[in-house]
Amino acid sequence: MPVRLWRTPLDTKKVKLPKAEIHIIKDQCKGCNFCIQYCPTKVLEESEEINAMGVHPPRIIDESKCVVCSFCTAVCPDFAIYVVEKQCKEGC
Amino acid sequence: MAENKELESREGSEEIRVGVYVCHCGLNIAGSVDCEEVAKFAATLPHVVLAKDNRYTCSDQGQELIKNDIKEHKLNRVVVASCSPRLHEPTFRKTCEDAGLNKYLFEMANIREQCSWVHLYDQEGATEKAKDLVKMAVAKAALLQPAEEIEVPITRKALIIGGGVAGIQAALDLADTGYRVYLVEKQPSIGGMMARIDKTFPTMDCSICILAPKMSDVGHHPNIELLANSEVVDVKGYIGNFHVKVLKKPRYVTKDCSACDECTKVCPVIAPNEFDAGLAIRHAIYTPFAQAVPSTYIIDMNICLNKEGIIVCDKCIKACERQSINFEMKPETVELDVGTIIVAIGADVFDPSTLPNYGYGKYPNVITSLEFERLINAGGPSGGHLIRPSDMQIPKRVAFIQCVGSRSEKNGKLYCSNVCCMNTIKDSLLIKEHWPETEIYVFYVDIRAYGKGFEDLYKRARKEGVKFVRGLPAEIIHDKKAHNLWLIGENTLQKELYKMNFDMAILSVGLEPRKDSEIIQRLLTLSRTQDGFFMEAHPKLKPVDAATAGIFFAGCAEAPKDIKDSVTQASAAAARAGILMAKGKVTVEAITPISYVENCTACGLCTKVCSYNAITLNKELKRIEIIEAACGGCGTCAAECPFGALTQNHFTDEQILAQIDAVTEHGAENKIVAFCCNWCAYAGADFAGVSRMQYPPNVRIIRTMCSGRVAPKFIERAFARGVAAVLVAGCHPGDCHYINANYHTQKRVERFWKKMEQQGLNKERLQLLWASAAEGERFASKIHEMKVMVEKVAPEEVENAKKVFEKALGGS
Repeated sequence: MPVRLWRTPLDTKKVKLPKAEIHIIKDQCKGCNFCIQYCPTKVLEESEEINAMGVHPPRIIDESKCVVCSFCTAVCPDFAIYVVEKQCKEGC
Repeated sequence: MAENKELESREGSEEIRVGVYVCHCGLNIAGSVDCEEVAKFAATLPHVVLAKDNRYTCSDQGQELIKNDIKEHKLNRVVVASCSPRLHEPTFRKTCEDAGLNKYLFEMANIREQCSWVHLYDQEGATEKAKDLVKMAVAKAALLQPAEEIEVPITRKALIIGGGVAGIQAALDLADTGYRVYLVEKQPSIGGMMARIDKTFPTMDCSICILAPKMSDVGHHPNIELLANSEVVDVKGYIGNFHVKVLKKPRYVTKDCSACDECTKVCPVIAPNEFDAGLAIRHAIYTPFAQAVPSTYIIDMNICLNKEGIIVCDKCIKACERQSINFEMKPETVELDVGTIIVAIGADVFDPSTLPNYGYGKYPNVITSLEFERLINAGGPSGGHLIRPSDMQIPKRVAFIQCVGSRSEKNGKLYCSNVCCMNTIKDSLLIKEHWPETEIYVFYVDIRAYGKGFEDLYKRARKEGVKFVRGLPAEIIHDKKAHNLWLIGENTLQKELYKMNFDMAILSVGLEPRKDSEIIQRLLTLSRTQDGFFMEAHPKLKPVDAATAGIFFAGCAEAPKDIKDSVTQASAAAARAGILMAKGKVTVEAITPISYVENCTACGLCTKVCSYNAITLNKELKRIEIIEAACGGCGTCAAECPFGALTQNHFTDEQILAQIDAVTEHGAENKIVAFCCNWCAYAGADFAGVSRMQYPPNVRIIRTMCSGRVAPKFIERAFARGVAAVLVAGCHPGDCHYINANYHTQKRVERFWKKMEQQGLNKERLQLLWASAAEGERFASKIHEMKVMVEKVAPEEVENAKKVFEKALGGS
């Protein structure tokens, strides 16, 4: 359609998108980076720290960008990452 | 018919008897051309047995006169010198046929559009030119041959491009008549602009309430196949026999979708909804609006988390009870055979962010009229509350600014967008209806309330207290704290400056041609006017026909118009397409190539230049074969043949050479011979006439169907006969009526220029012009320019060219 979309839609705040709580079990990670590579909203990046396995586990850049698709959990061969949807209390 | 055949058989041996009729067209021609003198002159021409002048040759009496003369004086050729053959050639051809004369034995001299109207103040020049034009027509007429037209069957199916209200109406009309209709819509749903509007003027009907039932009818009609989310990507063929390819983009949701909306509740991705002008959000899986047809949801893969081959997020899949989500859908190419096409692609709205003085795109409370429609609509993002985007409060003082993007040389488009005045009046009344206390000011240039019931609505708005101020604001100043707007400008009625404060300003944006008009134009070989909208075959008498046979226009594709006019035009287009399909067949003009087998060397050059693949090379028999039904009739093959083995019916080499010889008999050294293609340059020259653009009278136009017909030997002949200059004029590259035949024109002219240079001739004496049917001005200024050039051509130069091209004089 021809209209230029420049405004923040008026109902943006009304839409409730899932809020995530990402859990990384750092020492279980063997550093395959699948979670980082496949995250569709680019929530993760490689950290500088070295874990028990001797690799750099992932680190969260921006948890608010996570939409709880849980694909990271699905692709992790080491069961080292999982996401819980934050239960909504008043006002969120 | 029997009489016809008899006539034809006699013609071979019979003497040629030409009748010439010079039309006064009231004072349209007689005002600047001495018609009596032209007729007297015509009588002296070879083969002419009678020449008459009369006031209106196209009238019943005028036609009767011709019919009687054909019988009484045994005329076997008729020449009418009057208006453009693009206007009345069919009329007079019919007259000839009625009198038993084959219609291809008729020829026209265009002494109105291309003579009297463009030389209004030069009676002598115009009369001399008219004489020449008649002489050319008589010379051609003497060589005309009778021809039979072939019949082509018409597929009784129609394609409609665009599913706005115009496309919907046309589809329903044709489908109800009983024809199969394919309706192609680019967006996920049909409905177009009308579906987004809240109320319609002047009756204040709810727009979607009256449209939705029609949309639903389209969805359920047994004769309509709806191809939404699809685009036309290829069109081949000709009237009655178009072969169309449509790219059907995947929705990723199957028809099993029940539109239960469970998927959008779980979809974690959002984006502004285009349907709501970006004022509301939608998810990656969505339906643009509640009444959408088809109601099947769609997934926007540009924002969906899933990419091809990888399903990252399966929330919608899990939520869908009917398991109608399928990420493996692929684009599909659908091939259709149709007989007629209706173009109803609509219009875009003007983007006001290009006008910095109004601050659209920066100031939150400056909105467009389209955004207003979504805000005031109960189904819109604010539930029908007109709210300011900055603080969601209902505004108390509202300004409407008219002509945003319309009627301005500097800002936007030159034309009036037709709907904005009434739309604003309607909008102001809508505000008054809901919030009567609101103060409303309309800043305008002129209020155009021209239609049925429009003036009443305007008066009602005034009565309700809407204030109209003549003079658009020069600038909007934004109060950063309160987000209020100061409008500054001049009230041109009271001749005083104003500076007024408003809570909100609504820009009444104009309409402009769709961005993708160009693609449709190219696919269907259509023309567009300078405004960019599609051009009709005749503005008065064929307002919904395209110049290309079998194609029609409906709605804003042709020009900005309101719903009523769009619907009217759609029904007209459906009727026009229906007429063709009801007949089931159409005759194709007998302007196909004629081959002289004895000259053919089977070199295959002609097959290479044919854009329609209508000529094939039979290698075994060493000759070419012509498929007449597929031939477009451009004549490019005839111009390409170096052996004289091909010519074009009704535009034969002999006929065109005879026209050139007629022009150059006297005073050639001052004349310009212009070869103009029927569709663009010739029509452009006609348009110059209709617009009374004056240009020098030393040009003589020879009409060919396409500039591709202009063989180098025609140009050589003209120079060999001592003409001052030659102009070859055709459609703009890419706009050729015959797909791409004009590329061959360009190549030939470029080759000719090289030849001229090698021979030490001034190559400026041959000019090439691309001018569309709307570019009369371009044609006229080219003639002005060439006139200056021609005056500088020395007699020696003319002599030199005569010598160089001497060979071209032999034979004809």
